[in-house]
Amino acid sequence: MNEIQKIFVDKDVLSFPLTKRIIKRCPGVPAAVVRYKQELDALLTSSADPAGEGKKYLWLSRQKGAFVKPCPCTPHYIGCNYFIINLALNCPLDCSYCILQVYLANPWITIYANLDDLWKEMDAFRREKKGKFVRIGTGELSDSLALDHITQTSPELISYFGRERKILFELKTKTTNIAGVLAGPPAENIILSWSLNSEKIAREEEKGAPPVEDRIEAAKVVSERGFPVGFHFDPLILYPGCEEDYARVIEKLLCAVNPSRIRWISLGSLRFPPALKPIIEKRFPQSRIIYGELIQGKDGKLRYFKPLRIELYQKIVALIKYWGGGQIPVYFCMEDTEVWERALKKTPRRKEEVELILSPRVNDSKSMTSKSGPSG
Amino acid sequence: LDSSEIRIEDMRYATLPLAKINLKDERFRTSYFFSLERLILSIEKAGLLSPPLVRQAEKGYILVAGWKRVLACREIGLSSIKVLVTEDQDDLRLFLASVHENLASRGISLVEKAEILRKLLKFGVPKRALLKGYLPLLSLPATGDHLDVLIGLSRAEDAVKKLVWEKDVPLLIVHFLLRFKPVDQRLLLPLLRPLGQNKQREILEDLWEISRRDNKPLQDILDEAGARRVLGSPKLSPQQEAEKMRLGLKRIRYPQLSYWEDRFKSARRRIRWPKDIAIHPSLNFEGEEISISFLFKNEKEFKARLEQLQAMARKKEFPEFFGR
Repeated sequence: MNEIQKIFVDKDVLSFPLTKRIIKRCPGVPAAVVRYKQELDALLTSSADPAGEGKKYLWLSRQKGAFVKPCPCTPHYIGCNYFIINLALNCPLDCSYCILQVYLANPWITIYANLDDLWKEMDAFRREKKGKFVRIGTGELSDSLALDHITQTSPELISYFGRERKILFELKTKTTNIAGVLAGPPAENIILSWSLNSEKIAREEEKGAPPVEDRIEAAKVVSERGFPVGFHFDPLILYPGCEEDYARVIEKLLCAVNPSRIRWISLGSLRFPPALKPIIEKRFPQSRIIYGELIQGKDGKLRYFKPLRIELYQKIVALIKYWGGGQIPVYFCMEDTEVWERALKKTPRRKEEVELILSPRVNDSKSMTSKSGPSG
Repeated sequence: LDSSEIRIEDMRYATLPLAKINLKDERFRTSYFFSLERLILSIEKAGLLSPPLVRQAEKGYILVAGWKRVLACREIGLSSIKVLVTEDQDDLRLFLASVHENLASRGISLVEKAEILRKLLKFGVPKRALLKGYLPLLSLPATGDHLDVLIGLSRAEDAVKKLVWEKDVPLLIVHFLLRFKPVDQRLLLPLLRPLGQNKQREILEDLWEISRRDNKPLQDILDEAGARRVLGSPKLSPQQEAEKMRLGLKRIRYPQLSYWEDRFKSARRRIRWPKDIAIHPSLNFEGEEISISFLFKNEKEFKARLEQLQAMARKKEFPEFFGR
């Protein structure tokens, strides 16, 4: 993981508790108060790799807009009615396929320090949802835990959402940074989830992230502590031998973590806007992932030719069923009805129907009663 | 951008024998790949109205500005011409004077812009100044990546530069071409020359990606795409050769997609689908929908098309369109 080399503080957030905590927890890291974030630009304009260089700089600022937004998903594919909380933008990990390389306007890591505004906004959000089940998480525009040793926001988030039983709150990570999570009591609606991949992809494409085995171990610890867990096999990447590699990870995972504690597993295959291709090529010249049979999808993004996706999904779903006992809710991220139907024998037409598949009403009677180990 | 302007007071008019102008010293040259036809006609009819700028050297004179004019005069067979001679010894200042004169008086091709940038670097202009000042001056995107491609172009073989000039190849395609080794670039030129920009880009991208994916030399990939059979075939025009190679490469780059496309085309052939009704799968078969379109002028034609479609739907091969 990239080490933070300098902290820049927006003068507006200098007195906020989160700002003070971060600075205190980064002894030896120089911090400077700046009036405008443009001052950071000057640092990066001469860099040959601003996207990589930017990960060494923290920008502590105020979220001036909304913290909570519906997950934008992608046009023409089925979403899952997920909500995202943008507490931070960008991430110290450096995955070759990361869409943030083109999605974010700035290369540095931004952390919003005005947490009081988040709690107010969440109170209003909760009132607006009037007790309906909602799935929400912080891991879309950053890794939820990668900087938790500095920010220590996870205990606060867990404490807040732990009281809101109708909100399924997800912390999504690739790291083993779980000390903050383990510091407080667990809750059934707080889901710790890990992005997983094959060992080869983790090693070659997920720079700075721990090995898959360590992530599984962290998930085991957290689930045994009493938290439900989730897993995201996303992006699945095709290469010769990938099926055997994914099979090994799924076996390891479902032997290590009790399937009854798994709230969901999502599957998604490599996809990215065409603008990311030259960036991957330049920043990760050893990577071969962009040379797969990627075609333009309905949303304009490059993704594997559909029959290849369906074939891979069918195999992964079968493996999850074999090792997980068939009760783990599985869903697709950014796929269409044909993929759902052919790989999962389910036919959701809208995001609300996907949400229903993942809601506690449906799960509770099934996943909570399954036994671990292969069921055939 | 310029440290100082060139001083008129430092110049004098002179009449020089053409042979005294050393064209082998190209340090100030900014003009490449041009036709002299019109200029020759102009000089023949009206004379050399604007004298070239030269600087005295140990032996003869170095040409600062007026490359085409001097060449045209040689072509015409003039033995001497009127020139402006400068005493200025600052190479960068003189080169910039030539650049600015050219920028003001004519369009500068991509190859020429690349040469200008390479020479500026050689004259000691730092990269940062090129990015900040000279790329925008030359109407080019001011990024390090673009600068690298342009410097690469300035160092490319003449045949590559000639293609870029002749076909007005955009910077992005130049970038794709220059990713290959010079020996491979030579192999590619005949394939690219007959094609439009979109297809040039497709060939270059497919070839590059196959070579990276399969770790194969370019010649092997071209052979696999049918180069020995296609290139140089007496039955094919250069355009047909290039087109066949493009399709051959697409098959290697996208084997599954190509298989599905072939299957769809084969179903259309077997069912004898009417030529005046277009039938297409969704883009890249990503959607399940198939689209049909036809033109009609009146009710009678419309009904005739519908009858044709019904006849198609009754054929036993019809379900092949839906085999996913």
